[in-house]
Amino acid sequence: MKTLVRTESKDSEESIQRWFDKEVEDGENTILVYPNTQTFRQIYTKYVKDHLVSARKQEVEEEENNNNNNSSRDNNEQSKSRIILIAPFYETVDSVKNHLSAFGVENVQGQIDSGSLVMADSFHSFFPDSNGMKKLIDSLSEHARKEGRPGVTAIVDVGFFFLFGGDSKAADLISYEASLAPKTQDGNVKGISCYHWGNYETLTERDKELLTQGQKKKLLEVREIRNYS
Amino acid sequence: MSDNKKPLAKLLIVDDDSDIVQVLKMGLLKNGFSVDAFTNPQEALQSFKSDAASYCLVLSDIRMPSISGIQLSKKVKEVNPNVKVVLMTAFEMRDNEFSKVFPSIRVDGFVQKPIGIKELTDKILSLIGDTKNRKKGDEVE
Repeated sequence: MKTLVRTESKDSEESIQRWFDKEVEDGENTILVYPNTQTFRQIYTKYVKDHLVSARKQEVEEEENNNNNNSSRDNNEQSKSRIILIAPFYETVDSVKNHLSAFGVENVQGQIDSGSLVMADSFHSFFPDSNGMKKLIDSLSEHARKEGRPGVTAIVDVGFFFLFGGDSKAADLISYEASLAPKTQDGNVKGISCYHWGNYETLTERDKELLTQGQKKKLLEVREIRNYS
Repeated sequence: MSDNKKPLAKLLIVDDDSDIVQVLKMGLLKNGFSVDAFTNPQEALQSFKSDAASYCLVLSDIRMPSISGIQLSKKVKEVNPNVKVVLMTAFEMRDNEFSKVFPSIRVDGFVQKPIGIKELTDKILSLIGDTKNRKKGDEVE
């Protein structure tokens, strides 16, 4: 299923978050195409704000209520947030941290220390072991289960596969995407493979079809209006 | 031809971060180079191809969408094998990693961002080896 959102539309941010929250289910691997780095930043920042910051507020409220009621919390798991993995390729991990802080995510380091927010340079998660990213996500999935968290959202820029170019580029990418099933029963990971539009448009229509495994994978294209004729 | 009329050493700068492009362009212009700067690597490549012999060095970011610095390096060397290429990155990318993954690419140097204009100028001069091609009287700052 393909969804198209234009960034200059009034409710584009909300549309993107609805896609993350309502259309992408746990256990699904999906594809997001973003038009530029600035938009990618907006997308992950909004997601982190909506999930980690609101979860933290809820946690604080629950603690206050429990203190007021003088009772112990027996639903500890409910207030725990998802683990969010951000693996950028066109900006550094420090840049992501700075951006989150600058745009209203308080105590980014605290979120990292608590294990709710994980950041990894996409290059070093794919190289030298191309299975490195999958191993990282699997370990986060296991960790989330052990900690009683709702799951993991993995926002992974796959720009690595476009770094070296050449004939093997599409083959390696298709092989990677093929290893990520569109839907895994009982999976707790929302996998979002993120493509910069400048890279995505270098692929053939056949390659794009193979990436989505015959459109079995959900695809969100975030486009700017000026890209339309 | 007097020194004053010698062509300037012409550089092509490519980085998808417009702030970096501006800072580098201004600094290198001030240090006596002729500079064409682009944030879009496709446009940079077009510019290079249109007058390949005039460029003596290409300074490019590595991680750019549509054409990475590695691909750009390969393409400009195909057009003009004599042009020097320096890749720059804000990321940790060790030389041995690079040569292991892409042994066929010929790159003349790497620089780690952020880099000062003086250090960058020294690096460029050491590669092009011709200070006379800069404007007479220019100083490295």
